[in-house]
Amino acid sequence: MAKQDKLDKKAVKRVDKQTKKESKKARKIAKRARKAEKRARKKGTGAPAITIGIPRALLYFRYKTLWTGFFKELGVETIISAPTDRAIMETGSSLVVDETCLSAKIFYGHVQSLIGQCDYIFIPRISSYGRHRSMCVRFDALYDETCNVFRGTNQKFLTCNVDELKDEKEKDAFVGLGYQLGFSHKQAKRAYKRAKRAEQKKRRQAANETEQLYRREGTKILIAGHSYLIEDAFIGRTVTDYLKKSGVTAIRADLVDQSDALKRSLEISPTCRWEVSREILGSIAMHKDKVDGIILMSAFPCGPDAMVNELLTRKLQGIPVLNLVLDGQTGTAGVETRLESFVDIIRFKEGTL
Amino acid sequence: MENAYLGIDVGSISTKGAIIDDNNQIISSSYIWTQGDPIGAVKQLLHLLEEGFDKERYKIVATGSTGSARKLVGTIIGATMVKNEITAHAVGTTTFYPDVRTILEIGGQDSKIILVENGVAVDYAMNTLCAAGTGAFLSSQAKRLGIEVEEIGEYALRSKHPTQIAARCTVFAESDLVHKIQMGHPREDIIAGVCNAVVANYLNNVGKGKKIISPVVFQGGVSKNQGVVAAFERTLDCKVIVDENGHLMGALGAAILAKRSTKRQEFDFAVEDMEFYTREANCGRCSNNCEIICVYHRDGKMIDSWGNRCDRGAQSVG
Repeated sequence: MAKQDKLDKKAVKRVDKQTKKESKKARKIAKRARKAEKRARKKGTGAPAITIGIPRALLYFRYKTLWTGFFKELGVETIISAPTDRAIMETGSSLVVDETCLSAKIFYGHVQSLIGQCDYIFIPRISSYGRHRSMCVRFDALYDETCNVFRGTNQKFLTCNVDELKDEKEKDAFVGLGYQLGFSHKQAKRAYKRAKRAEQKKRRQAANETEQLYRREGTKILIAGHSYLIEDAFIGRTVTDYLKKSGVTAIRADLVDQSDALKRSLEISPTCRWEVSREILGSIAMHKDKVDGIILMSAFPCGPDAMVNELLTRKLQGIPVLNLVLDGQTGTAGVETRLESFVDIIRFKEGTL
Repeated sequence: MENAYLGIDVGSISTKGAIIDDNNQIISSSYIWTQGDPIGAVKQLLHLLEEGFDKERYKIVATGSTGSARKLVGTIIGATMVKNEITAHAVGTTTFYPDVRTILEIGGQDSKIILVENGVAVDYAMNTLCAAGTGAFLSSQAKRLGIEVEEIGEYALRSKHPTQIAARCTVFAESDLVHKIQMGHPREDIIAGVCNAVVANYLNNVGKGKKIISPVVFQGGVSKNQGVVAAFERTLDCKVIVDENGHLMGALGAAILAKRSTKRQEFDFAVEDMEFYTREANCGRCSNNCEIICVYHRDGKMIDSWGNRCDRGAQSVG
């Protein structure tokens, strides 16, 4: 046991050392860039020295306000990859092993589209926000996985660690990130604070707007799924577009007051440990009586959803539930059949079919 | 002249058609294999339906299509109602069995469960991406065992000790089955085991968490298999009703839906002699590269197209 601990400590040290090394390297480059910027400013061109690429996939949809806001406050230019299309999905799928989840495959497609377009590609390691508030392990590994997938290119990647179970707070992560880019603690802290405030405001706003939708007349369907799946232009959009076309109000479960949702999630599962899943569970607990049906939307083969959606199909009684698993099929027939019949069943029940 | 309504259900394996009158009585019906050619199958089906149809007495005023090729076939026959097979099955079954509570359906590539309360479908589930435990699985296993898929039921009923076969996944089930064959298990027992596996798979995948209340109606192509029916009755411990027209339920549902809707267009059997062909085109106007299907008359006139995600891929009809 003691030996194992020692080994673990060693491993942690090694990782720390590696991260330090990485940040040192990044700082060096940033310093050079800053100098170049200074020179440029003296000359009067004022062009920003570094650009940071952010893939429009996975956690970007959840944290876009914070991430882009932070870089904007610091005056660093960001470029976001274009919305997903078939080419991006296919490139991504060809880069990684087959078992990877669809959303991650799409992510790698986005990374590929950013290669050579920017100085750094930003991929944070986000592990947890506290007890029973973990993220999918994929987000912890994403930076390292990406570095490995693209090891043949000269592209540089940028990361920071958020793991509140290990006392690595989001604030510290972003301050460190700013420091890596050559900004002072004070500058970085200020940028984080402002970006965080903007993010909280945006979330509150989204939650309030969503809350209004529950009061609408007509058929309402709650879509429970990850933001990166629902908002994805190629995959999730087909579902929301279809529902819109059939005159149904589709309401996103993930746009919800976070603290309320985390509390209410305990009603459905007291042990669920995933932050995002808990928000969705809580949102379902809060709103299931206000909607006519629930669509559980997940990307094949999503780990957390495999457990959470299984739990939900068993626990949710008395309300129609559609378990919609999306994969990279280009034919939309299967999805359309499922959605059409789901809407029909609801209308059947209402007597409006 | 009395009114009649035509419903066509084109599935992945079989194509079903029925013509009903105003009282939902079947005037003419037919059931053939699709054999990978939905257009050809529909034309053949229409021939067969025409034979049993009294043109002097009835005229078809509305048509409905359902099943996985509903869109293609709906375009060709000029259907007034194109509906998915779940709705069609639910409508068909509740019309003929108003007090049904659970509808089990296993087809060629999908399986579904529909829960009904007071004659209204209230909840349903469908198999997800994988086609384990559907008709396609049964027919490939029948082929492996060297028997016709229609004989499976007979063999299964003869078995006294069904072999245990892993039911979770078709691929695992198949390797398990091969192993059991090589170990010397009798063929009847293996076939009965396959039937049990289909039922176990269905209840675990599609029926999970759903309360199955009697009366239970079982339909779809697999319901013609006595072995699977017996396995359901044993597992659910209640009587499972299999209608003699169970395989037609989707087509009947489509006809009833066409009757219920207000859209009317007289159907002409001349369609069966027309030639149609389809063409797949890759749009190429953006990187989505949508696969667009265009349906043409023999004379080269396009009747319809679909598959485009945006207006850039819209094809002009005519």
